[in-house]
Amino acid sequence: MSSTELNPPRPIVIWITPPGPNPWKAVWLLEELSLNYVVKSFRFDDVKKPPFINVNPNGRVPAIEDPNTGLTLWESGAIYQYLIEVYDTAHKLSYTDLNQRHLCNQWLHFQTSGQGPYYGQAGWFTHLHPEKIDSAIERYRGEIRRVLGVTERVLSEKPKDGEKWLVGDKMTFADMAFVPWNFRLAEVLTVSEDEAWDGFPLTRAWHDKMVATPSWGRAMKLRARLMDEQGLQWNGVPKGIETFTEYETKIAEAKEAESGDIKVVKV
Amino acid sequence: MSSSSSNIHLYTAQTPNGIKVSMLLEELDLPYKVTQISLSKNEQKEPWFLEINPNGRIPALTDTLEDGTTPINLFESGSIMQYLVDRYDADHKVSYPRGTPEYWEVNHWLFWQMGGLGPMQGQAHHFYRYAPEKITYGINRYQNETRRLYGVMETQLAKSKSGYLVGDRLTIADLSCWGWVAAYHRPDRQKTETNTMAKKQDWAGVEIDEFPHLSAWLEKVLARPGVEKGRNVPEKHTSLDFKKLSKEELDKRAAESWVRTESTAK
Ligand SMILES: N[C@@H](CCC(=O)N[C@@H](CS)C(=O)NCC(=O)O)C(=O)O
Ligand SMILES: N[C@@H](CCC(=O)N[C@@H](CS)C(=O)NCC(=O)O)C(=O)O
Repeated sequence: MSSTELNPPRPIVIWITPPGPNPWKAVWLLEELSLNYVVKSFRFDDVKKPPFINVNPNGRVPAIEDPNTGLTLWESGAIYQYLIEVYDTAHKLSYTDLNQRHLCNQWLHFQTSGQGPYYGQAGWFTHLHPEKIDSAIERYRGEIRRVLGVTERVLSEKPKDGEKWLVGDKMTFADMAFVPWNFRLAEVLTVSEDEAWDGFPLTRAWHDKMVATPSWGRAMKLRARLMDEQGLQWNGVPKGIETFTEYETKIAEAKEAESGDIKVVKV
Repeated sequence: MSSSSSNIHLYTAQTPNGIKVSMLLEELDLPYKVTQISLSKNEQKEPWFLEINPNGRIPALTDTLEDGTTPINLFESGSIMQYLVDRYDADHKVSYPRGTPEYWEVNHWLFWQMGGLGPMQGQAHHFYRYAPEKITYGINRYQNETRRLYGVMETQLAKSKSGYLVGDRLTIADLSCWGWVAAYHRPDRQKTETNTMAKKQDWAGVEIDEFPHLSAWLEKVLARPGVEKGRNVPEKHTSLDFKKLSKEELDKRAAESWVRTESTAK
């Protein structure tokens, strides 16, 4: 971004906690649109406390404050629609016609209600909940495969030699919304990348194309820095703890000691 | 309801997500056709339906663009509602003009329902009632989260002068949440040590009393003629009737429900 012509003139403030995927959904869009923004990074433990709870009564990140319009907004899906409508005036990542506009919104809704919650629950039951409940883990793994199956089907119906995007022939915000959780797919499932994507080659190729964009690279570089500032490793585990198993043991111990009042660090 | 002058066709079932759309269509007084999808027969996974919604869930809606012939297919109740108000609510009966602060506020509540209340209360229903194996932790986790989310709505409604979630009128934010809150009277809870909400339900029958503004909102929305008509599409809405049933009757109802059939078949 050129420092002489900042767009918008006053920086959009984005509140995030670095570990989870949802904040990066929004940060990536800010990067991809080359918008002027600043990040307020705080600890995940503080999402339900002031000052953040006064910004978002629901206590979830991300949230944005845009001093250029005086607006405070939360829910990554609503933030997406806002940034696109207000700042993607060149329609780099969106369309103008009724049909494609609403198809993009449809996929955004599917991502926020169909992908996010189920990947999130799988991650919770696999990594963070101290007791291993196989039927719950299986339930959410099954949902993840079902969701991957939906994008696979839709991408397979695209013209053979054409660009494969959810709507039309270019990457839109609808495609982008899926990346932060798919980026954690192997980690959530605790398998290798190849195993995680097995059976979903088109979805994998679609995803790989997006994570190769410079803007996603910049967002992940920022994540690494902010994680580091909070003493967290890349996977969300505090530094000094080597393996997830060790971390899980620590969580279980903490749970016993504090009877439920554990520090939650999202994977 | 069904008139010839519209090409709107709704594919739906009697569920919280399905009635969002029929309530909105009625509030907007739009003519539409309805096809009932039988979830117990798994019709939502049949090839013809997957052509309309590759996600294999209801609701879905088809319409034609302004030219009257080019088809548009939409799924995801939140997106369908945004489409309908964008295209058919020019007078802003249940919406706000694009770009106004209220317009954006409606959107964050809409996404809050779609990504939060729906999936989380849906999991609460699953673990309490439909999961073949009883997992107390799962029940508590999602009932407590649902309760927290009701609290967030309660706080918002307490601040509201109109009694609706955003501004001075009913919007798709309210319609999106209504069927879910109404469904909390369904037989989807049981008493556990840590779940006080369920206890209250068992004792008093109406745990929602704990959230006075939310209770008032439930009734206020219910009193609207469009909502009354739309909630009974494609068949009678019975969630609120559950309030009056005994524990035994509730158990019996749940045993007959379609999701149980699906879960045990897996
Ligand atoms: N996020 C979707 C959720 C739709 C949904 O969960 N639909 C349920 C009925 S309420 C369904 O069709 N379930 C059938 C199935 O999963 O097979 C929406 O709001 O449209
Ligand atoms: N396959 C689903 C069937 C149940 C279902 O579709 N439930 C709907 C409610 S009728 C749901 O939870 N929807 C979540 C949402 O709306 O986000 C499951 O096992 O959860």
